[in-house]
Amino acid sequence: MLLPGSDPVAVVRQFSEQVPHSRDLGMEVVAVEADRVRMRLAPPQWLRADDGADEICSGVLYSLADSAAGLAVFAAAQELSPIATLDLRMDYLRPATIDRALLAIAGCLHITDEVAFVRCEIFSEGKAQPVATGSATFMRNTPGQRFKTFNEQEDGT
Amino acid sequence: MSGIVEQAESRDDHAACIAWQSLLARIPYARHLGLEVQLGQTGIEVHLPYREALVGNSKLPALHGGVIGGLIEITARVAAQDQDTRARRPRILDCNIDYLRSARARSTFASAEVVRHGRRTGVVQVTCRQEGASAWIARGRIQLLFPATDR
Repeated sequence: MLLPGSDPVAVVRQFSEQVPHSRDLGMEVVAVEADRVRMRLAPPQWLRADDGADEICSGVLYSLADSAAGLAVFAAAQELSPIATLDLRMDYLRPATIDRALLAIAGCLHITDEVAFVRCEIFSEGKAQPVATGSATFMRNTPGQRFKTFNEQEDGT
Repeated sequence: MSGIVEQAESRDDHAACIAWQSLLARIPYARHLGLEVQLGQTGIEVHLPYREALVGNSKLPALHGGVIGGLIEITARVAAQDQDTRARRPRILDCNIDYLRSARARSTFASAEVVRHGRRTGVVQVTCRQEGASAWIARGRIQLLFPATDR
């Protein structure tokens, strides 16, 4: 659970940094405001859509949207209870060029004890129009092991 | 007679495998994920070998949903490009994935069905299963746009 008075950015960032795939692609949590999460990804060269293409592979935008959307559920719920993606739909509006970092802004539209609906927009840094939008539905409080709470992580238990 | 037909089919499959592999080899992210083409029971499959860096939930552990998304999108692109007579590189317009079961820490295989291949657009459905199980773990539908000029 996000402790009262704890820094939500620090809690969400700490969680995200422990996700191997997010670390692999170089995603970072920039901001957490209420039920909205901002993430950034500075693309290395191996994220090109094709050898010689100036465009980032769409699968990378997909991963970034999935990650940001999941973190938005935690932000809205104010706790790190386990979630599972039921579906995610991406619209790739325009190419995302490899020379600019990606910024994702995900916000929770509606959340209940069982489900959460999230929208996400991805921008090329410095551009006003999004390069992609995502729409995800998550199952909440899924069975299986619970994540360590922020408390436990601090205690090292 | 049937033996001859099977032989012809297997030769086609073999040629298609080589074609898919050469398309995959040009995609840096596919190389990073370690994707490889193989012939499965139901035809050509794209194999995503398990690595710790693909994990999204270390507790279960389970693969990141984005990794499955990348596998599905790249498989759809390669399937669509392989069927195009001019081998045009398609651009993905949208992608819609249903997650049916948790993706465990093991090898994953994606199969593609080109639902429609038009002059300008294509629709590909991709299903994913994992090593040791036949049940689908995810299903995706991808709309692709082919460029007007050859690339």
